[in-house]
Amino acid sequence: MSSRAVFQGWKQMAPLLRKELLEAWRDRRALIMAVCFSLMFPVMLAGGTTFMVKKQSEEVTRVALLGAERAPLISERLTSPNLDVDSLGEGSPRELLAEDYDVVLEFSDDFDQRYQDFRAPQVYLYVNGSESTSGRAQRDVQERLGALQQLVVTQRLTARGVAPRTLSPWRVETRDVSTPSSRGALILATVPGLLIMTLFVACLSTAVDSSAGERERLSLEPLLLQPLAGWQIITAKTVAVASLGWLGSLLAITALVLLMPIMPLTELGIQRATTVSGVITMGLIMLPLALLVAVLQILLALRSHSFKDAQTQLSIFQIAPLVMLMMLDIAQVKLAESWQLLPLVGHQQWLKGLLIGDWVSPGWMLSGSLVTLGLVAAAVMTGARALRRENLLSAS
Amino acid sequence: MIRVDNICKSFEGQPVLRNLSFEVPDGRITALLGANGAGKTSCLRIVCGLLQANSGQVLVGDADPATDPMAVRRQLGVVGDREGLYERLTVREYLSVFAEMQGLSGAVLQEALQAVRDELELDGLWNRRTKGFSQGERMKVSLARALVHRPRHLILDEPTRGLDVLAVRLLRKTLLRLRAAGTTILFSSHVMPEVAELSDRVLVMAAGQIVGAGTPEQLAAATGCTSLEDSFVALAYGQRPAVAQAEGEPA
Repeated sequence: MSSRAVFQGWKQMAPLLRKELLEAWRDRRALIMAVCFSLMFPVMLAGGTTFMVKKQSEEVTRVALLGAERAPLISERLTSPNLDVDSLGEGSPRELLAEDYDVVLEFSDDFDQRYQDFRAPQVYLYVNGSESTSGRAQRDVQERLGALQQLVVTQRLTARGVAPRTLSPWRVETRDVSTPSSRGALILATVPGLLIMTLFVACLSTAVDSSAGERERLSLEPLLLQPLAGWQIITAKTVAVASLGWLGSLLAITALVLLMPIMPLTELGIQRATTVSGVITMGLIMLPLALLVAVLQILLALRSHSFKDAQTQLSIFQIAPLVMLMMLDIAQVKLAESWQLLPLVGHQQWLKGLLIGDWVSPGWMLSGSLVTLGLVAAAVMTGARALRRENLLSAS
Repeated sequence: MIRVDNICKSFEGQPVLRNLSFEVPDGRITALLGANGAGKTSCLRIVCGLLQANSGQVLVGDADPATDPMAVRRQLGVVGDREGLYERLTVREYLSVFAEMQGLSGAVLQEALQAVRDELELDGLWNRRTKGFSQGERMKVSLARALVHRPRHLILDEPTRGLDVLAVRLLRKTLLRLRAAGTTILFSSHVMPEVAELSDRVLVMAAGQIVGAGTPEQLAAATGCTSLEDSFVALAYGQRPAVAQAEGEPA
């Protein structure tokens, strides 16, 4: 096809494109859905991270000590900034845990006697495993008890003239070698998936309306009687649907970037966030993906039996790729660079890098975007063939 | 002229049209009659190029919808039996989009829009979105869409269905004016007085074939009936209604 023919084709398509855009942008329901979802997730993310950091800094484990008078050293030394210790005379561990204690520590009746005799007295640690905080509480108390135990052992060995190192053939020290970016990437791993999901959600309503909806309202037939080729009809619909999807993702990116200053990024280990050029790049790389999502949704909706059927199919369709992206993230699969050519996988990686200010290869972004556009063209041609299907017409 | 030559069409192995042949002369109104399921809509859809015949040939003017659908679509105006409008567009926007898709632009486009606005009395609807339009209003807008590019051939599938008297009168007036202007019109209908009053020629279809063709008077003479309705029943159902009623069978 010559460039002149392509230009003529686009010129012929212009009125249909105008019609599709007018219909899409005047559909209040689709617009509200796109805008609300796009703004909802950045706000939730900002709120969620702020809450998480605040909760972490305020988290205190409440410990009840039963029989504390038999272990005055532990009772005295156990208290720390993250442990709030109450010494109680008697009580039922189960009842105390049911109240607002995270851990109950009970010293055996003969604790003081056995301790003085160096006969390893019993300490019982009670936790309620069904509570979500039990793991953290148990860890906090055990860490503190472990440190105290080490102190006592050291004192005892020193008193006997034995070097404490004798009992420690090696010492383990954990060092976090993650960079701020990689820690940030871990925390923001969900964001690219959510941005891509925004695209799917923002496109959905218009895609169904402009294909299955038009067929159900019997307005597709007059359109098929106009001197336009199938590819022109599908392209015009795709552009209109993608415009809403793209708007959704742009709104989400903008909201996310605007909310970044109030998000506790430093506490999350993110030293630098995206730049203006990063934001523009994110917007640009979402455009081919918006077109691909739009045309695939239209194709699927055209194949469905009714408007409702199309909505159901598309809802399932949007979950599948997102589950795949999440699985890749959770499994932390190391992918070769060439995987960036694959739509969605590439977009996820680019967005992740751009969001936290990492360097992303323009070459891979360009190649991946071209592959995405190639798939859009193939899907448009498939859609053009689908328009020739006789069962698209009513009552035939 | 529209020429249908020996076309056959089946849906899932079920034949709907069987060696169907007829001609629609230029500048005339031709009615296509048939019982429900006789194949009228399928026939009209094949003429428009929406469906492909399994065999046979159709010519609209000198273009074959199977091989040159674009040429056919440029010279056709079609009003389907049940048509939806674009409910978020005003009548003006709706007609403008279709006129532009037919290649109209600039002053020609404005003239064409003004012409259909006047002819079909669309003043009150012009800047309203089409959501909530009555059946009559919807028909007027559909007809305006079919006519805005001044097609040489007009096809209407049961255009009077669900219309009130005023809308039917307007449709009738419009079709007669178009005939006078030389437009070739093919329409299907179940309303016999309408057909008798409007048509220059009537085609009667039964079981996917033409079983009678001619003016209403010629059909009446051929069947020995006094009205078009009786002639149609005789041709389409193979029996005279008077005889059927006398024997207690449904007419």
